[in-house]
Amino acid sequence: MTEFLAATIRIATPLVFTALGGILSERAGVFAVGLEGMMLAGAFAGVITAFLSGSMLAGVAASVLGGAAMAALAAVATTRFRAEQMVTGLAVNILAVGLTSFLLRGLLGHGEAPTIRVSPLAAMPVPGLASLPVLGPVLFSQPVLTYVALAAAVAIYVFLVRTRPGLTLRAVGENPAAAFAGGADPLRVRMLAVTCGGALAGVGGAVLSLQQVGTFTDAMTNGRGYLALAAIIVGRWMPFGTLLACLLFGAADALQLRVQGLRLPVSSYVIQMTPYVVSLAMLAGFGRTAQLPAAIGTAFARDRPSS
Amino acid sequence: MPPASQRVDLAAVRALAPPLLAVLLAFGVTGILIVAAGKNPLLAYWSLAHGAFGSWDRIAVGLNRATPYALTGVGIALCFRARVINIGGEGQLALGGLAATWVALHMVPAPRPIATLCALGGGVLAGAAWAGLAAGIRLKRGVHEVLATLLLNFVGLLIVSEVLQGDLGEPGSGFPQSPLLPAASWLGRLVRGTDLHVGVLIALAAVAVGHVALWRTPFGFRLRILGASAPAAAYAGISPARALMSVMLLSGGLAGLAGAIEVLGVHYRLIDGFAHGFGFNAVAIALLGGLNPLAVLPAGLFFGFLETGAVAMQRAVGVPTPLVAVIQGLTMVFVLSAMGLTAGRRRV
Repeated sequence: MTEFLAATIRIATPLVFTALGGILSERAGVFAVGLEGMMLAGAFAGVITAFLSGSMLAGVAASVLGGAAMAALAAVATTRFRAEQMVTGLAVNILAVGLTSFLLRGLLGHGEAPTIRVSPLAAMPVPGLASLPVLGPVLFSQPVLTYVALAAAVAIYVFLVRTRPGLTLRAVGENPAAAFAGGADPLRVRMLAVTCGGALAGVGGAVLSLQQVGTFTDAMTNGRGYLALAAIIVGRWMPFGTLLACLLFGAADALQLRVQGLRLPVSSYVIQMTPYVVSLAMLAGFGRTAQLPAAIGTAFARDRPSS
Repeated sequence: MPPASQRVDLAAVRALAPPLLAVLLAFGVTGILIVAAGKNPLLAYWSLAHGAFGSWDRIAVGLNRATPYALTGVGIALCFRARVINIGGEGQLALGGLAATWVALHMVPAPRPIATLCALGGGVLAGAAWAGLAAGIRLKRGVHEVLATLLLNFVGLLIVSEVLQGDLGEPGSGFPQSPLLPAASWLGRLVRGTDLHVGVLIALAAVAVGHVALWRTPFGFRLRILGASAPAAAYAGISPARALMSVMLLSGGLAGLAGAIEVLGVHYRLIDGFAHGFGFNAVAIALLGGLNPLAVLPAGLFFGFLETGAVAMQRAVGVPTPLVAVIQGLTMVFVLSAMGLTAGRRRV
């Protein structure tokens, strides 16, 4: 059981970072469909940098930059150019798959995909707490980025609910014209929110590449960005609710690994469907009552505040 | 005031400029990447063009490749016109191919056109059903169609993998693929000696029908009103729910047809992962075509030839094929930005 819970948290970690990044973006009024691509860019930049420099810290820093760079492109397109947000996100995802696969072969491999190997971030037991029964192995014997993910959830909550910039961000997501009248610059706020969200999603990717597998494979995020998107909706755009939703998806995935070990008469493909079916079912359960940020999906133009 | 002919030209230029500029910009930015990889971009693009158009055979392959793009793209263009963001083309196409395979393998032996038509029909129904499921979840449970179609993509692709591992798989082949379909169900060749299949004509017909449906029928009018202004549509007594369901069924049916054509005309069997990339790229194509069914055709051709040319480019100058996805993604971002800037000035 403790092993199952530990696996749940491990699997949920990349989702948590990515979903928290998505919250920043969506709370500011920009749909975060591009999370998948930002995550992939982060995973790539992180593991390549760690591989070339030998420093995991540099790797994590690069993943922040990679995710932020991908997000900045989406931010400029959706704010300055008022591009349709969801499809721009999709474009970012296509671009990220192409760009990472191309750079892997073109810059590093002379045409072929090279072998990238770093030893994944090891578990870092918290002295004292790690020896607690149950809680110790589940919560306090995780790799470092998992602790950071939990801290980030608290930090984003405090930022959104207890600080002035957080209030401004939410105001822009609810009513950009009013926020503009109140002295905020909605375009700037959205650009910052989307870019910072992308940075977080980039770390989510780094969790995959640096903490879980230690290498990069084409399109390795494999839909996790979309699951994070679903987690945000299930978690009603609040950090702790979203954290719970991510843990639930993590549990579905961990269960899948379990069941695969049991050799049940269900094929692995059916079991692989669980996270997607579970999130659809949860969205269907929560969807109707979900309160989207009021201005999400709409472009803001200073000269045309009504649009 | 300029004469009428000149005004029409100006309108055409205004409509054509954004996608063309977007494509040029995308090629320009991608050229920088090619330089960074230590290759000559002009040489790379030349070998890409040569690979795409170098012989009748290559052209036939490119046209075949563009066929599912045009079919799926038309459906998505109609959806987007009504602001129904259907990004489930991937799953709808995959299940269309699956259904066509199932029908071709299980139906009683029939002469050629009948067997082919039944298999194509199966593909249409399956694609429409999968899109209809997403539309139903949207209407009954309020899950946004973006998420419903997206998540169903993953489920649809996994269903194909699952079925190929089980009932429809070819025993002992070592690959996740179905046995070869009976020849009676294959799509005929259009030009002897090349791979060009009849599906290309079906795509042309779909483009024409899509154009007429959008601009010349009450159905298309309702879609356009819905997309332009929801309050106006409500005032005109248009039911958004019915429009959403019907346009989703139509678009899913077209994607399913595309999947069936891919199976019956290109592979002659169901291969795991055959739908990969078609659905998402079709969204890019619909946008590149300005959500105009007629313009979806050149956009689909562009993507089709881009992809067949890229394989030759990789062989000739060693520029990896994922570069194509970079061009596609960038084109999409640029077109969306141009559309965003000119929003509100478009013809309803």
